[in-house]
Amino acid sequence: MNDLKFALRQLRKSPAFTSIAVITLALGIGLNTAIFSLINDLFLKGLPFQEPERVLHILTKGKDRTDEFQMSALRFMLYRDGQTIFSGFAAENQQAATVSGLGDPLSVPIFKATANWFDVLGVRPIMGRTFLPQEEEGADVAIITDRFWKARFAGSQDIIGKTIVLDGVAHTIVGVIAKMPVSWTGPNADVWTTKPMVIPGFSYEKMMRGSAFLRVIGRLKPGVTLDQAKAALGTLEDSYRSQFPERGDAQARNIIKTLPEDVTENLRPGFATLLTAVGFVLLIACSNVANLLLVRFSGRRREISLRLALGATRGSVLRLFVFESVLISLLAGILGAALAWQLVPLVPKLTANFLPIEQGSASALSVPVLLFTIGLSLVTGFAMGLYPALQSSRADIVDALKEGGRGTQGSVRQQQFRKILVGAQVALSVTLLAGASLLITSFVRLSQQDPGFNTDKLWIGVTVLSQAQHPDQARRARFAEQLQTALRATPGFEDLMLSSSFPLFGNPGATLYTRPEGNVPPVAERKGAPSNDIMPGWFRAAGIPLIAGRDFNEQDVMDHPNVIIISKAGAKTVFGDENPIGKTLLITNGSVPVEIVGVVGDVRSVQLNHANNMEFYRPFAQESWPFLKIVVRSPLPPETITYSIQTALRSIDPSLALIWPQPFSEIMAQALGQARLMMWLLGIFAGVALLLASIGIYGAVAYTVEQRTGEIGVRMALGAQTRDVLRLVVNQGMKPVLVGLAIGIAAAFALGRLIGSQLYQVSAHDPLLLGGATVLLMAIALMACLLPARRATNVDPITALRSE
Amino acid sequence: MIKLRNLERRYPLAKEKFFYVLRDINIDIQEGEFISIMGPSGAGKSTLLHILGMHDHGWRGEYFFRETAVHHLKTKERATLRNEQIGFVFQQYHLLDDLTVYENLDIPLSYRRYSKSERAALVADTLDRFQIVGKKDLYPRQLSGGQQQLVGVARAIIAEPKLLLADEPTGNLHSGQGEEIMELFRKLNDEGMTIIQVTHSEKNASYGKRTIQLRDGWITKREQ
Ligand SMILES: Nc1ncnc2c1ncn2[C@@H]1O[C@H](COP(=O)(O)OP(=O)(O)O)[C@@H](O)[C@H]1O
Ligand SMILES: [Mg+2]
Repeated sequence: MNDLKFALRQLRKSPAFTSIAVITLALGIGLNTAIFSLINDLFLKGLPFQEPERVLHILTKGKDRTDEFQMSALRFMLYRDGQTIFSGFAAENQQAATVSGLGDPLSVPIFKATANWFDVLGVRPIMGRTFLPQEEEGADVAIITDRFWKARFAGSQDIIGKTIVLDGVAHTIVGVIAKMPVSWTGPNADVWTTKPMVIPGFSYEKMMRGSAFLRVIGRLKPGVTLDQAKAALGTLEDSYRSQFPERGDAQARNIIKTLPEDVTENLRPGFATLLTAVGFVLLIACSNVANLLLVRFSGRRREISLRLALGATRGSVLRLFVFESVLISLLAGILGAALAWQLVPLVPKLTANFLPIEQGSASALSVPVLLFTIGLSLVTGFAMGLYPALQSSRADIVDALKEGGRGTQGSVRQQQFRKILVGAQVALSVTLLAGASLLITSFVRLSQQDPGFNTDKLWIGVTVLSQAQHPDQARRARFAEQLQTALRATPGFEDLMLSSSFPLFGNPGATLYTRPEGNVPPVAERKGAPSNDIMPGWFRAAGIPLIAGRDFNEQDVMDHPNVIIISKAGAKTVFGDENPIGKTLLITNGSVPVEIVGVVGDVRSVQLNHANNMEFYRPFAQESWPFLKIVVRSPLPPETITYSIQTALRSIDPSLALIWPQPFSEIMAQALGQARLMMWLLGIFAGVALLLASIGIYGAVAYTVEQRTGEIGVRMALGAQTRDVLRLVVNQGMKPVLVGLAIGIAAAFALGRLIGSQLYQVSAHDPLLLGGATVLLMAIALMACLLPARRATNVDPITALRSE
Repeated sequence: MIKLRNLERRYPLAKEKFFYVLRDINIDIQEGEFISIMGPSGAGKSTLLHILGMHDHGWRGEYFFRETAVHHLKTKERATLRNEQIGFVFQQYHLLDDLTVYENLDIPLSYRRYSKSERAALVADTLDRFQIVGKKDLYPRQLSGGQQQLVGVARAIIAEPKLLLADEPTGNLHSGQGEEIMELFRKLNDEGMTIIQVTHSEKNASYGKRTIQLRDGWITKREQ
């Protein structure tokens, strides 16, 4: 305890040293705490389910395809009936529905689940019950979250048995559950119902063709391992293939993930990068402080020798120093936690909803995070204090002191240590800098990527046409006509686009296709492409060029021949140099023949960083879904547009709600979300690293200059001129920098694998960027050397010689 | 070779007040002379040597080195002149601890226009001439004081200066070692080198041909 008091007094005695050391470390610890708290939120907190790692999410992947799909209804049934490894096997089908009778019509995602869905997850209701088996097929029942209950029903105690109207149908509320994590459900998940095999507007027959729309989970029976489950599911996959060879998904393979894997896998590479990066920053900060401690401790040799002479053991001297070091790191930990507390809430804003963290819920102050910070501070304190303490408490140094030697010899080891620290700092910073410059370039390229359509001044909203009011194609087509007519006259609307899907907005799914000539492959082996059902004039409005053939017209309706327009890249792949116009394709798993009437420019409809190959467009009058995307190009403010559209919708059908109205720029921002987050964070880390490393280099060189004043004086007396002295100091200072640069670039090369998957149109080994990072760091290091070196040239040889 | 006229060196004490270390110094030194400067501690001997050696620039008066008016030269020109003409020996030897004898000898050459091969040849010659070839790879701390000063002198003359300045070169040595250094100075002087040394010992001063007495910044006595 006495030692602790002494250490505290020592720190108070030199406020400059203490504050520099604490601030430096606080930067390192704070950034680590911030990233850790995000990781804690996203990865570690765990899903609020019972043993989530025992629950498997089973997806499917088409032959030769990279994208993953959910599971088809038929496959689900076969697996459910054939499996023996799961104690429960459940499915859920996500749709959107309009809630009415609770104020303004409100559109929400709804989850139509099998009755055992919550039992498989291990979620218990807060009130009421979960679904009963007999409710799965026929009953109109609903379960809502406590959040929805409080917001929409004012938390009324008699909620069970009340009704909620979804798409015009009254559902009885049977239970209330706690809200689920965004990472599992997506945003605004509040309502669950039954009847998972029913999709409005889809016949049972059509549904059974193999479209994969069910999210399927199974809870492993006790004792069953993941490998056993994979084997068993593999057998089921084979039997589905042989029993239903003509289904669209016959050739699909199982993709099996535990729930924790499922919700984190997209984020893993990014966070591995971030964690590495903040780790680097902390190491740099640590080495800076270790350097300061070395100077500080070895400056106290007199005190040490006195203590040793008075009978102190080396251990007790060591403890004294380590206390001081740990005290610094704990102070830094407190400051760092405060820094993280300020930083973390900024992250969701930065990422435009890319991270599954709800706005406002992100916070650095949780028990695991604080424990992490304290632990990290202690480890840091020990790590950085130990070597300087060991060095300074060496008995032979004390002897050397007594001899009154020139001192420079005794510190050879320390100089070595200091050089290693500088080299390490440079290596770490250049690696970070290289990573940051790669990510920044990648972000710039991605944000300049032309998506193939004109996104300028776009506004987007969605409405869901209820089954009751708009049960078939013809009715939906008529509605779209009415809406188009109503909106076209709106002043300030430059373009209007109505379609069942819109590029970069949601998942357009995959429509299977093949050429009808020659050997027609079975459905299961056909390729799929996104398909969009569009109203006439849509291409011109969206700014997608018509390259060959014609646009849709008034003739392309229900009872006329089915027509389709395809993308340029798709035309090239399927038809090569043949003219595709007038040719026929068989599309969907129903093998519907359609005639190609036009070819249009390519659009990046799924991901901004991926060029699509084939893209289909069909006339809204011939094919449509109940989900209508309304897109407007207008300079008017978004609220004004939203209001106009809402008014127009109500004038046609008062039960319709407008979902997710927003400027399209937000969709684009989301498409850039991960790239933006990575760029910003790594950019900040690299900046901090550069700052710390240049302080480190400066400090090391300045200290050397101070120690070598005598030598420099002698050299000047022997004829060294200003430039000789500069060269001497800079050479000495830059040597560890150059070694560090070499190691850092090698490390950047090696770490390219980590970052490669996050880059867009930049090689992780881009020589220009790696070279640029090297040159920048070298320039900064040179500056950091030159400042103290200039001081060295001011050494007055007379004073230097006299003082010896 | 050297002509000083009305040379003075002062340090500011307080406002408008000065402490005069040297005042009204007038000296003439011929080529090939061996001069000893004597005087009590604090008399300004080292200060004078540093002025002659062109390390100190804060003086007033006239200083002619050969035909050159040093008082009109810029700092940089003085440095060039010094590098061509002057060598230094220090009381504390001031060998660089981290360099070997060989490397210490090489320092002055590295700051002058010598090629690599010339440097190697000169160092080898000098090691030979001072009979310290066997010590070339040793570090200063592995040498006795006398040996260190021997290296110090070798280093001072390796770049072939015309003038050798030595500030109490034997001050840290016992008399036997001191004598050795003085014999060396005599030999160098015989070979034509001009030497100015500061010393406290009458015996060492007797190696010189002339003594200048300095007291409180004044020249009090010249001996022929
Ligand atoms: N930088 C300085 N500022 C003030 N006084 C100085 C300075 N350097 C030397 N002196 C003074 O000049 C005087 C002469 O010093 P010095 O030439 O070293 O004497 P010596 O070598 O004869 O013993 C001393 O009194 C010393 O205190
Ligand atoms: Mg002196």
